Amino acid sequence: MPWPKERKYLGKPMPRVDAPDKVTGAAKYTTDVLPAGMLFAGIFRSSWPAAKINSIDLAAARAAPGIRAAVVAREGPRRARYYGEELAAVAGVSRQAVEDALRLIKVDATPLPFVVDEMDAIQAGAPQVIEDGPNFTRPAARETGNVSEGFSRSASVASGAYSAAVELHHCLEPHGNMIAWEGDQVNAWASTQGVFSVRDGLAESFGIPQNKVRVICDHMGGGFGSKLGFGVEGALCARLAKAAGAPVQLMLTRFEESLCVGNRPSTFQKIRLGADKDGRLLAFDMDALGSPGFAAGVSTAAGGGGADIPSPFIYKVPSARVRQANVAVNAGSARAMRAPGHPQASFGMESIMDDLAAKLGIDPVEFRLRNDPMEIRQREYGIGAEKFGWKEKYRKPGSSPGPVKTGIGCAGATWGGGGGRGQAEVQVNPDGTVEVRCGTQDLGTGSRTVARLVAAEMLQVEPSGVAVRIGDSLLPPNGSSGGSTTTANIGPAVFNACENAVAELARLSGIAEPRGGRWLEACRKIGVNPLTASGRWQPGLSSQGVGGVQFAEVDVDTETGFVKLRRILCVQDCGLIVNPLTCRSQVYGGIIMGIGYALYEQRVMDRTSGVVLNPNFETYKLPGPADMPDIDVILLDMPERGIIGIGEPVTIPTASAIANAVANALGVRVSDLPITPDRVLAALGLVSGLRPSWAERPIPA
Amino acid sequence: MKAFAYVTPQSPESAVELVRDDGRFYAGGVDLLGEMKEFLATPRTLVNVKALPGSGEIGFDAAQCTVGANVTVADLAAHPRIIGALPGLALAAAEVGSPQIRNMATVGGNLAQHSRCWYYRHRDVHCRKKGGAKCFARTGEAKYHSLFTGCMCVSPAVSNLAVALAALDARVCVLRGRGVDKLTVEELYASAWTNPLAHNSLGPADLILRVEIPIPAGGRSTYMQVSEKSDFDWALVSCAASALVSGRSVSRVRIVLGAVAPVPWQVAEANQLLEGRTLDDGLAGKAADRILRDATPLEGNGYKLPIARALIRRSLQKLVA
Repeated sequence: MPWPKERKYLGKPMPRVDAPDKVTGAAKYTTDVLPAGMLFAGIFRSSWPAAKINSIDLAAARAAPGIRAAVVAREGPRRARYYGEELAAVAGVSRQAVEDALRLIKVDATPLPFVVDEMDAIQAGAPQVIEDGPNFTRPAARETGNVSEGFSRSASVASGAYSAAVELHHCLEPHGNMIAWEGDQVNAWASTQGVFSVRDGLAESFGIPQNKVRVICDHMGGGFGSKLGFGVEGALCARLAKAAGAPVQLMLTRFEESLCVGNRPSTFQKIRLGADKDGRLLAFDMDALGSPGFAAGVSTAAGGGGADIPSPFIYKVPSARVRQANVAVNAGSARAMRAPGHPQASFGMESIMDDLAAKLGIDPVEFRLRNDPMEIRQREYGIGAEKFGWKEKYRKPGSSPGPVKTGIGCAGATWGGGGGRGQAEVQVNPDGTVEVRCGTQDLGTGSRTVARLVAAEMLQVEPSGVAVRIGDSLLPPNGSSGGSTTTANIGPAVFNACENAVAELARLSGIAEPRGGRWLEACRKIGVNPLTASGRWQPGLSSQGVGGVQFAEVDVDTETGFVKLRRILCVQDCGLIVNPLTCRSQVYGGIIMGIGYALYEQRVMDRTSGVVLNPNFETYKLPGPADMPDIDVILLDMPERGIIGIGEPVTIPTASAIANAVANALGVRVSDLPITPDRVLAALGLVSGLRPSWAERPIPA
Repeated sequence: MKAFAYVTPQSPESAVELVRDDGRFYAGGVDLLGEMKEFLATPRTLVNVKALPGSGEIGFDAAQCTVGANVTVADLAAHPRIIGALPGLALAAAEVGSPQIRNMATVGGNLAQHSRCWYYRHRDVHCRKKGGAKCFARTGEAKYHSLFTGCMCVSPAVSNLAVALAALDARVCVLRGRGVDKLTVEELYASAWTNPLAHNSLGPADLILRVEIPIPAGGRSTYMQVSEKSDFDWALVSCAASALVSGRSVSRVRIVLGAVAPVPWQVAEANQLLEGRTLDDGLAGKAADRILRDATPLEGNGYKLPIARALIRRSLQKLVA
């Protein structure tokens, strides 16, 4: 790798460049952009989970005090396919005026039968979610090797049924935009993971040239994959701004965030796994389904994504049969969510791995070492088990004494990451200061800080002398922040721009090595116009394919079902660590999200009314400070691999490790996420009158 | 929310007068503002009762503690004499919401809070509590609902303070018309069992002034709950207990469950079962059996039975520990 061997700034902890602005409130988010004459806007949504919308009457809303524009989401008769689908929008001089006007909109609708439960939706005769297609189609199974032979050769076979509920992104900053037209030019302040994808979406939906659109995102409060596109709410905002001839701010509410801006699809997996007597995997068979919402994986205005999962994930099984299907239900559509598909696949696979290990009487870590083909994870299991005290702590499942039982579990993961399309520009000023310009955005990973550190390192200047401009579609394109690629895009692009700047500076100044002691002298020779140099992502500075393992320790109260998470240990490979502080921050965030997936989070749909029953943080339960265990993070510093993204891999195995720890504590498995007290008590056989499990219902052929 | 008028009366009598104009009493606003944002409540007038003289005070005399309706839940939880003399009440207060909520929430508001049923709280579900035809929870998603369901609306009473105060034989002083009624907690909630539209027995112009809590010599009390999260979460089941304790022998026992019925749930027979007895785990289990005997769980909430049982046993053990 061409990264310098001796590094002054890279790999040293540096607080976020924008931390002072964030903690003092100086940082401008979309809602802080308030131009004179700006209007507020709100969306009128379907209160039916399914309906024929015959007509929408906006007259009264339009005539309401303070209202300046009202538009329907789509002209003519249409169908609403989930509770909360966008039907119309209004803009007015205050939030109160908008809220009052929304209540004046009249809709002539014919309610239709609906279905919100996956297992209901796949049964014959279920209400049809999409007009012209079935709720459920089953592609043929993919088979590698000979699965029936694999099972017949197996000394032991485990089978299980594992499910996980729909998880919502719930970015702390909701989705939204502030959009202003100036003649045929349009400027948007967006809460987005992609200033260029919003630019292109805006240009396309209005048929205007891409160079007439500017998108700005100084700061944003989380996306997790749900803010990659322009979205229906963005298009409505732009249309209202155009109709009203005034800037319009349209931010969604927490309630709306629960309905229509993405989610992680549910998953239902029936798995069999076989191994020989030495614990070597021989055969894997999975029949799975999941629901990405009403569109069943068809792209929607802001992306989409199916419910398919990459099982058997990280393990090498000589024979594998995988059959999976997407189910349409009358609910909001999925969007990419932090490592799409992977936590689901990990949970099913790591669960059955432990179930099979228990049958074979093999220690779970040892079982993984025999079957995990990745050298890095092999090492990480060694390091982690030692640090965690695995050998001393491990007991046979269910053998912890007393009513509050302790258990431990582990799981591994991988993720791609890597870059490929970053661009940046470096400007060196005659006074020796530096500006880095990069059309990326800070999803929360610390993009400004990354760019500053790389430039400071490569130019050998003080980091405080490097100003970084990002979050603007007028800057050199750098791609959306998705797939854990941002740092691996920015880093090499800035690296390359710095290389070019140094070469240009040497040429202009006549100083062969302008960096170091002669920097100012060289810069003064630039002349009046600052020097600029552009750079592109180059191979050899980043890589992909990380390995990570996590260990969990829990206490489970077998009388109340309460799970107390005591500890998570994460051992993670992440190549060249640019900034340990922001890197660890990503690891913590990923683990915390995984804790939510394991123990708390689920979107609850009501079969009778078709609504989301928990559209708030009261009953959609996010983990809080008191729920946090001790989290230990060991980063394998491997600078020779270059930069690798870290945001997604670290959230993948957390829930799996926790679920395995709970199973180890109890001696029985809670096979549905989240693992809530009711499910723990049910798994222990302490609850009667249970609704039949999904696993007892057949999956039609 | 709908626009409203805001008034700040200086006496309980004028507060009651002002609230008659389609008004609601407003103190911490924790419960009411949520209802207004969802258009579940659209009062014409908010009658701010925070300025009522003396309503924010905690007082003690030899045998009784008096807590004003505007004492915040945070102050109640942190009050040294409450913690010392009435630990069950302090523990119940400490489990309410989050620090921010406890700082705003008042004793009166906590007692008078409305149903947290997710069907009731949903802006587009017209359930029986809102005058609709059916109770959606009875055949729907009832994970957080009542175990005792022989009533028309199965949303449970979730006030932590009500559960603790019931176990302490407290009286809730309510201004009704021109007089002050001293209600038991049971009386304060009785209507929630009989009338599906009611959250408690308070009329629209009934104003909670204060709570009076006896402090008997030798009395002990406790409170515990199980939630899905470690903090900032409603109880799945809560349990308060009090007794006169001498060694491991108990008398005048009160065991009250929360989040299992539209009213704080107390079974006199179970209390009497323990009268003058030496407490052990077997006896505590018998009391739990009696308390839970008539439970009729809904689909999806039978798990509350083992939790309730564990909490009853543990609370009683803690009383004599």
